[in-house]
Amino acid sequence: MNLLLKVQDLELAYGEVPAVRELSFDVAEGEIVTLIGANGAGKTTSLRGVAGAMPPRRGRIIFSGRDITSLPAYRRALAGIALVPEGRRVFPALTVRENLEMGGFKFRADRGKLRSQMERVMEMFPRLRERAGQAAGTLSGGEQQMLALSRALMSEPRLLCMDEPSLGLAPLVVQDIFRSIRAANAAGTSILLVEQNARYALETASRGYVLQAGAIIASGPCAVLKQDERVKEAYLGRR
Amino acid sequence: MVALGLTLIYGVLNQINFAHADFVTVGAFTAFFTATRFATKVLGLPDTGAYLLSMFAALGAGALLGLAVNAAVFAPLRDRGDELRPLIATIGVSVLLENAQLALFGPIPYQFDSPFARETLRIGRIFFSAQSVLVVAVSAAAIAALYGFMRFTFLGKALRAVAQDRETAGLMGINPNLLIALTIVIASALAGMAGALLGPVLVLSPFAGASVIVKAFAIVIIGGFGNMQGTILAGILVGVIEAFTVQYLGSGLIDLVVFAMLLLMLVLRPTGLIAERKEENV
Repeated sequence: MNLLLKVQDLELAYGEVPAVRELSFDVAEGEIVTLIGANGAGKTTSLRGVAGAMPPRRGRIIFSGRDITSLPAYRRALAGIALVPEGRRVFPALTVRENLEMGGFKFRADRGKLRSQMERVMEMFPRLRERAGQAAGTLSGGEQQMLALSRALMSEPRLLCMDEPSLGLAPLVVQDIFRSIRAANAAGTSILLVEQNARYALETASRGYVLQAGAIIASGPCAVLKQDERVKEAYLGRR
Repeated sequence: MVALGLTLIYGVLNQINFAHADFVTVGAFTAFFTATRFATKVLGLPDTGAYLLSMFAALGAGALLGLAVNAAVFAPLRDRGDELRPLIATIGVSVLLENAQLALFGPIPYQFDSPFARETLRIGRIFFSAQSVLVVAVSAAAIAALYGFMRFTFLGKALRAVAQDRETAGLMGINPNLLIALTIVIASALAGMAGALLGPVLVLSPFAGASVIVKAFAIVIIGGFGNMQGTILAGILVGVIEAFTVQYLGSGLIDLVVFAMLLLMLVLRPTGLIAERKEENV
């Protein structure tokens, strides 16, 4: 399998304090990879580093054979990396439709493409069609998560980074969201999933990395990780 | 128009441009010299044509000035996580522009004769100067154009997205820095054009902008900082109240009434006429 994303010795810091150190992981074309770990382990930071929301202190990020380490977030988005940020971050005063248009910003010159993309995500989440003219800030948390995911899919990303998609949502909505993530993956998008619900994450992904205090302490196929004593004890609970 | 530029910059950058008043002055001087020297003497245009041309010259001057200030002040100081530095820097730009104009044009006010200021229109029993009709008409057109731009074009929507959440807008493939530059250019062009419109009404000196900006700030605060609709509404409201004040209380009390209104707003509804919708996280 071809490598889509390769992160090498990445160090990211808030001010002087490094949040992740010597981070190395990769995502192959068509794969779902998860980063799991406790709160504050550096999962969100790692994703932000990949999407370009945080400039790296050290290390390299190779995307599709190209060094993107020094590219700003918007250039990475145009290259095919989409991030569904923690806490959704929909544009509250824009309507649902306008939010989706922003997601498809790179297709702004191609109205037909934009319309077909819009049609596709609204097919996936009919709720968004019902609310198309409503300000995104008035949506429920679950609807906002659907919108944030759809907005990211509007750009037809090659790599979709999901930050805590299940956070604060009802179980039924979470199932919906994960079904859509798998559907996007089946359609050819690689996925990098950060999730505090390790059980969900390990069931969805094929490979995983375990982060602790800003460093990777274990990695491997999810089936193996699920049996790993440290993972079991820390994240899945004893049986 | 002046207030709208202020609110636009605040809405997108979260910063106050203290040099905004001087952009108005620069626009007024640009218009003055275009109309009275260049267009009539060099191009041989009639007065009316010269004045209309001068409005566009002022618009262009404002836009160029905005571009320069963005490149020199806002862009280099951005991303330092500091709101004070750009604020102080705009005060510096203001002092610089005022003194440059003082050196170039001197402290003695110029008389900017607009051909429209000489004409009077009559509707029923009410008389208007053609200049004031022009001011209203051009402002309304500019505001409508801006509103349409923000509401219906992709770039305008992207601009609003950047105003609401700069980082997330970047994740959408929108270059925030480019749109911030665009915002400053649009706001500055509006200020320049306002200068051309107000030049004939005001006493044209290097400090002319200062008399406008205080009221513009009042309008922006009444409307709610960074809120376009609120600012437009507040502008109309302040205009109407001024007109009534002149009619019933005398023109000397205009500023008193406007600022009393400002104080009242600050006490009763400090968020402005239309409160800004804040996003609810989680």
